[in-house]
Amino acid sequence: MGKVIVITSGKGGVGKTTTTANLGTGLAALGQKVCLVDTDIGLRNLDVVMGLENRIVYDLLHVVEGQCRLRQALIKDKQFGDRLVLLPAPQTREKDAVTPEQMKALTEELREEYDFVLLDSPAGIEHGFKNAVAGADTAIVVTTPEIAAVRDADRIIGLLEAAELYDPQLIINRVRPNMVRRGDMMSISDIDDILAIDILGVVPDDQDIIVSTNKGEPIVTDPKSKAGQAYRNIARRLLGEEVPLMNLQERKMMHWFKRLLSGEAQ
Amino acid sequence: MHTQLCAIKGSRDGLVVTISDASQFAAVLDALEQQLIASESFFQGSTAKLMVRQGSLSAEQLDAIERLINRYGMHLDRRPPNWGLAPNREPQDSEEKGAVEDNTLLVKRTIRSGQRLHYDGNVVVMGDVNPGAEIVCTGDILVLGSLRGVAHAGAEGKIDAIVFAFRLEPTQLRIAHLISRAPDEKLPQPQGPEIARVVGDRIQLSVYNH
Repeated sequence: MGKVIVITSGKGGVGKTTTTANLGTGLAALGQKVCLVDTDIGLRNLDVVMGLENRIVYDLLHVVEGQCRLRQALIKDKQFGDRLVLLPAPQTREKDAVTPEQMKALTEELREEYDFVLLDSPAGIEHGFKNAVAGADTAIVVTTPEIAAVRDADRIIGLLEAAELYDPQLIINRVRPNMVRRGDMMSISDIDDILAIDILGVVPDDQDIIVSTNKGEPIVTDPKSKAGQAYRNIARRLLGEEVPLMNLQERKMMHWFKRLLSGEAQ
Repeated sequence: MHTQLCAIKGSRDGLVVTISDASQFAAVLDALEQQLIASESFFQGSTAKLMVRQGSLSAEQLDAIERLINRYGMHLDRRPPNWGLAPNREPQDSEEKGAVEDNTLLVKRTIRSGQRLHYDGNVVVMGDVNPGAEIVCTGDILVLGSLRGVAHAGAEGKIDAIVFAFRLEPTQLRIAHLISRAPDEKLPQPQGPEIARVVGDRIQLSVYNH
């Protein structure tokens, strides 16, 4: 029985889809069988980030409405084939075309076959969010070091609790160590102070992500990229390995991470 | 946090109509009628006593309840049940408008953005109140953690209500009808627990000295 994890944020544009694509690819690279599900009905883009858009024939809605078999709708990854598949979202329908019950049934079926089922949630807290969390066991909340994003992450954590998804884990995306050092950006401990949930990983801001996203090749497979390294680390943590948060350039940052890791930053 | 306004229950003392909050009288009357309709003729001919958990009923309100109960073939025994509060006791001084009984709600978690807590009484939060969260209550607010959201103590006019927090950095603070907000520029972070209370016609923060 695989794990079903929803990746969510509340605020749009913080990197949910990029995170889903990279964690999925990272887990597949570690030998896991992974299924990515785009639950952003009407605004899909996980297929684009994965570079699989041109292969879509059937989508999530076709599956839940019984117009095709699940296996027919799953798109194999270019690099990992059977080990990494994508269930794309329909582009032409509304979010309420799918119900939480249907999502639950779908994820139950997928977890039989795959070690990890990653659900890419839409932004917002409405129907689409409820669909995305319906079948999940745990949640990963993505935020950036901005007050608006942290506020929305806080809201989402509250809503996840209401949906009985306790102890979500946090990924802090697009951290710029230089700005943090100058005091122009929220630090990890500032964010931890407000959200007070487990930090699964910190991903540095990296222009190469934009390039890799446009190419449809997740950066996690690029051995030179720092962001790629961060995603590889997170994938290993998801498998239960103890991987220390990486040093994002500055000595001062390293000091914070050490404090964080030793639990002093509580 | 929906609580039943009104319930008809059997007890050692016979049938008792329990009213949870007398201040919402119109809703209580509605709820009671719904209950009577639902029970059809089950209670017909029986005598019920009345118990009020919170607030008190005026003589006219008591009459209205009696008329309603009579309409469904029941009688009202105006003597109080042997337990609980008397329905027709005179409001005491401590129950004047704005005063709060010893109701205290203990919340053992963090209140997050978008979550609102309304309570008739005092509120103690063992956790934080994050930005975007809101607590409104008729009594005092104590936060054993950081208060960064909106807090409104003494919401029904209790001017001597207080707000206390280990770290008092609210977005907005209200006590009774007074409102104060965080200054737009950054303030030095408070070094220890602080308490907010009304002094004159302003809300004043001070370091908490016990």
